[in-house]
Amino acid sequence: MIDWLVSPLVDFGFMRRALVAGLALSLVAPPLGVFLTLRGMSLVGDAMAHAVLPGVAVGFLLAGFSLPAMSVGGLIAGLLVAGLAGGVSRLTGHREDSAIASFYLISLAAGVMLISMRGSSVDLTHVLFGSILAVDSTALWLIVGVSSATLIVLAAIFRILVVECLDPLFLRGQGIRGGAVHGLFLGLMVLNLTAGFQTLGTLMAVGLMMLPATAARFWSKRLEGLMGLAIAAGMLSSVGGLLLSYHAGLPSGPCIILLAGAIYLFSALFGRYHSVFARWRRRVQPILPPDAHG
Amino acid sequence: MAAVLTLESLSLAQGNRLVLENVDGHFEAGTITALVGPNGAGKSTLVQGIMGVLKPIAGRVRCEVPKARRAWLPQQLALDLSFPMSVEELVMSGCWPTHGSFKRYGSAEYRRGQQIMHRLGLQALEHRPLGELSGGQRQRALLGRTLMQEAQLLLLDEPFANVDAATIDILIEVLRDMAASGVSIIVVLHDQDQLARLADRVLHLDRGHATWTTPNAQASAAPAPLAHRSRTAGGSA
Repeated sequence: MIDWLVSPLVDFGFMRRALVAGLALSLVAPPLGVFLTLRGMSLVGDAMAHAVLPGVAVGFLLAGFSLPAMSVGGLIAGLLVAGLAGGVSRLTGHREDSAIASFYLISLAAGVMLISMRGSSVDLTHVLFGSILAVDSTALWLIVGVSSATLIVLAAIFRILVVECLDPLFLRGQGIRGGAVHGLFLGLMVLNLTAGFQTLGTLMAVGLMMLPATAARFWSKRLEGLMGLAIAAGMLSSVGGLLLSYHAGLPSGPCIILLAGAIYLFSALFGRYHSVFARWRRRVQPILPPDAHG
Repeated sequence: MAAVLTLESLSLAQGNRLVLENVDGHFEAGTITALVGPNGAGKSTLVQGIMGVLKPIAGRVRCEVPKARRAWLPQQLALDLSFPMSVEELVMSGCWPTHGSFKRYGSAEYRRGQQIMHRLGLQALEHRPLGELSGGQRQRALLGRTLMQEAQLLLLDEPFANVDAATIDILIEVLRDMAASGVSIIVVLHDQDQLARLADRVLHLDRGHATWTTPNAQASAAPAPLAHRSRTAGGSA
């Protein structure tokens, strides 16, 4: 068992790099996901993951399979879609999520078109679903750099995000525009999606953000608890998924995300709050006397 | 007493619909002014204009109170109360204007937070998540945040909607105390009885125009329908 866990990491440099990359992503992506779920933007993360694709494709067309080029491209495309969606929603008065949904579809189609013009379907699969074998040291530095920067920015805007989530008008009354905070938050999300696509692929990167966050909601009612549990679930999925991918010869992205999905399903069934089991237990329990301070 | 807030020929619009036209008036320190009027008369719009969230299309709002000391209690429905935050954390977030994003809350702030929660009858609920509170408990916690902020100008939008009678008594008592200590309070109200208990002056809004009256004049002008409306009050323009 220990051999099963340790030997791939001892024997192969690419496994060690992939592990560090996975852990670094798991440290920041799940907290971003927690904020996304709390802001009622769960599907916006998914849309943005699709939106980065044409940028990645342009990077791929210009520089071949170069992670920095593809990441910068993805970042630009993601920010462009977020900016356009925000602009259109402000100009037309439509809801921002419908604008994002429209732009990400355009962006996704453009991305697939661009990749198919130049590369083979192997390349497309690689970009969409990721590959741990490709995490070289440049990629690793990029991922670790993005994680560190995200962690610092998130710490800096943490209090403002919390206050803004609960009551945006409180901050506006103090002369702080919620739009800037929102934009910065979307920027962090895009940055992490582009960092994650190397190991997970563009479409799977959002999974490491959302699944640990949604799973954590079944276990904690406190923000710190949600963040801590989401990070733990993300790390567990990353390490487990990588090992599974190595031993079974399966693609790494789906392995990691399926494991996170299994954690989510388990939480939905047996979690402490609101799960199927918790609801059943509440039904069979005797009714308690009313709260003294109600 | 000195006027802390002056409205000069203020006109406000929502989109391209003119909601209020040529509103004049001044609000003094230590007085409680009630904003009354039918649904859609522009009560919430005026509150937004005073808070600076909505830019006037003509005239202006002159406010002597610095931003950090202006507090606002929105309608409960506007808040996401499923957010995982405890009563104490909500009250402490009133430190924002002085502490911003980075400054640590000191023991003096925590002590003050405890006193405020005690004053509002929330001491046993300090670690309770907001999602598990009743409407009245939430409203007390929200008022706690404005007390923490040491507001000098306080705007409340229908603070007694969806709130139990015991909470209304506590809120009225606390608001009267705040006014006695010099805070200028503006409150959007529907209920005639609450108006009589709370307000010193009344600003009546109707069809885009504002008239100043007193609580007594207001009571004789429109007795029954106003009180009835408070049950169904939901609209805000």
